[in-house]
Amino acid sequence: MANTNLPRRIIKETQRLLSEPAPGISASPSEDNMRYFNVMILGPTQSPFEGGVFKLELFLPEEYPMAAPKLGRICLDILKDKWSPALQIRTVLLSIQALLSAPNPDDPLSDNIAKHWKTNEAEAVETAKEWTRLYASGA
Amino acid sequence: MESDYDTQDASDMESMEDDFYSEETVVRDGGDEDEGKCGFSDNELDDSDGIVSERLQQNYTVLDETDIRQLQEDDIRRVSTVLSTSRVNACLLLRHFNWSVSKVHEEWFADEETVRRAVGLLGKQVEMPNVAELPCGICFEVHPRTAMSSAACGHPFCESCWRGYIGTAVTNGPGCLMLRCPDPSCSAAIGQDMIDILAIDEDKQKYSHYLLRSYIENNRKTKWCPAPGCEFAIDFVIGSGSYDVSCNCSHSFCWNCTEEAHRPVECSTVAKWILKNSAESENMNWILANSKPCPKCKRPIEKNQGCMHITCTPPCKYEFCWLCLGSWIEHGERTGGFYACNRYEAAKEEGMYDESERRREMAKNSLERYTHYYERWATNQRSRQKALAQLHNIQTQKLEKLSKIQCQPESQLKFIIEAMLQVVECRRVLKWTYAYGYYLPEHEHAKRQFFEYLQGEAEAGLERLHQCAEKELQVYLEAEVPMKEFADFRIKLAGLTSVTRNYFQNLVQALESGLEDVGPNRQTNSSNSSTSKNISSKNSPGNSPRSSTTTNNLDNYWYCERCTYANPSSNRACEMCEHRRH
Repeated sequence: MANTNLPRRIIKETQRLLSEPAPGISASPSEDNMRYFNVMILGPTQSPFEGGVFKLELFLPEEYPMAAPKLGRICLDILKDKWSPALQIRTVLLSIQALLSAPNPDDPLSDNIAKHWKTNEAEAVETAKEWTRLYASGA
Repeated sequence: MESDYDTQDASDMESMEDDFYSEETVVRDGGDEDEGKCGFSDNELDDSDGIVSERLQQNYTVLDETDIRQLQEDDIRRVSTVLSTSRVNACLLLRHFNWSVSKVHEEWFADEETVRRAVGLLGKQVEMPNVAELPCGICFEVHPRTAMSSAACGHPFCESCWRGYIGTAVTNGPGCLMLRCPDPSCSAAIGQDMIDILAIDEDKQKYSHYLLRSYIENNRKTKWCPAPGCEFAIDFVIGSGSYDVSCNCSHSFCWNCTEEAHRPVECSTVAKWILKNSAESENMNWILANSKPCPKCKRPIEKNQGCMHITCTPPCKYEFCWLCLGSWIEHGERTGGFYACNRYEAAKEEGMYDESERRREMAKNSLERYTHYYERWATNQRSRQKALAQLHNIQTQKLEKLSKIQCQPESQLKFIIEAMLQVVECRRVLKWTYAYGYYLPEHEHAKRQFFEYLQGEAEAGLERLHQCAEKELQVYLEAEVPMKEFADFRIKLAGLTSVTRNYFQNLVQALESGLEDVGPNRQTNSSNSSTSKNISSKNSPGNSPRSSTTTNNLDNYWYCERCTYANPSSNRACEMCEHRRH
């Protein structure tokens, strides 16, 4: 049902995501709902998240592209007030990937981790590596 | 700021002293119902009142939608002319600088580049690529170039996507006034011209409405009238004195805090009072004064009847003695039975309960004091509502009837409307004097006494006017034929109206000046005593107020020890309180 009247734009974006995936990013629509995407982002090389596979769920609301795609709790301006309909799923996912390369401890989801990052970055990076190995090793 | 107004008011008062004194003649004679004099002074008054109201009218203007659009258009045109820019750009600039024409000019000529960047005005128009067909940046479809549009930046989007983009922005609220090109790397502003071409009618109207609202809401000198459903705005001359404004919808409010008009009370006092009226603080006081907490679960318990054996409500069910708050298990015959507690009596002898009892007592007193002022405040509020209803009734029904019975054209019956308007206004002032009284410090006995005297007189004067406007009017409404006494009634009511108006004007000024004439520094500060004299000398039939102003020599006065009233040296007892001079 949700797949009838799927805007041409979503179809085009999906086709492009599948045919020319961005490096380190895969996004594939769910079989029974074309607005629902399973996303995997590889941890960027030379980041503490290297070697990790990060799974995300992305949903395109009815108003898309006038409204931003829905992702989990990620502090990213383009998912909020800086959304523009000229942005795409691809640009959003690339932004998230970039966020893994350069975390922003000034706008954190977890205050504790941000504090740790700011006071002792080396130790925080070690923790990130450890957690990547434990929880995001793709198993 | 405050002090600026104070001094301004004070100097106004000085300069108008003569007016007030001339009005005082009426104050004195008002009660005498001396027709000739009243009629005469009434004319005199109308003149001076004209000056007063004109003076007050000048500091604000009521605007309707047409006025607002006109003013907005004028400002836009001015900026557009001075900057040689389009109307749309001028509008965007003005909105960015909160509709301050001078700020736009200043910033623009100081650093045009920065202003352009901040507002999103590009130096020159970029055309869309000159090809027959173009892809839309939103729907990714290819459209003929003629079916695409772009802002000054040349980023092409199809009409349908523009419609959706603008529609979403307008739905999200007034932020749509700062809309930019959909391209995330571009900051070109989208102005009203594009909205008008590309949006659906409903969104165009909403946008235009937001633009209108912005002109009032983002402007330092304008505000909407806060009355529900009222669509007028007030353009206020900042720094011009009294904040009281009266909207064309008949709602009077304070421009500064947008609460209802509240002279002579300050905005901060009104805020405190309103908070107090609505806040839980009074509930807490009541609980403190009238209940004790259960010794086990700490819930407050009010004991309204029965013996001292209290059982807390489930689930607590704790049984205790109301007096000593000890467990009931230790009570019974040996502690004095169900209605006494000798443990409590013994402990009380030793002063163990003094502190909590004292606190309870204080809470009770403070609650009673507040209740006293609140009740009177609320009563005057209700009386005002009633007077408003009466006024409406007179305007819509009685006036016409009266006009027929008494064979008077309705235009000649305006004095009745004026009397009722005065009643409404006085009720409002009187109401706020109770908030004033509540916050007048307890220890300033002289001020409190003087204040209560002024307030009492105000109440009495207002009652007289209200009585005349309501009851005496009834006689002429029920008459079969025109009554010749109607002319007397006119003179009396018009006289009472101006007498009361003057009294209340003086009262407001006296209270606004903080009753500064009263206090320990009275003697040295006596040059300011005009206000209290204005009001109080109505009780001095033998004294000519005119001569007292002309002879500004204060050595001719002595100050009553009891009430601090300034008496002419010829008096042997105080005119105010009849205390003898020593």
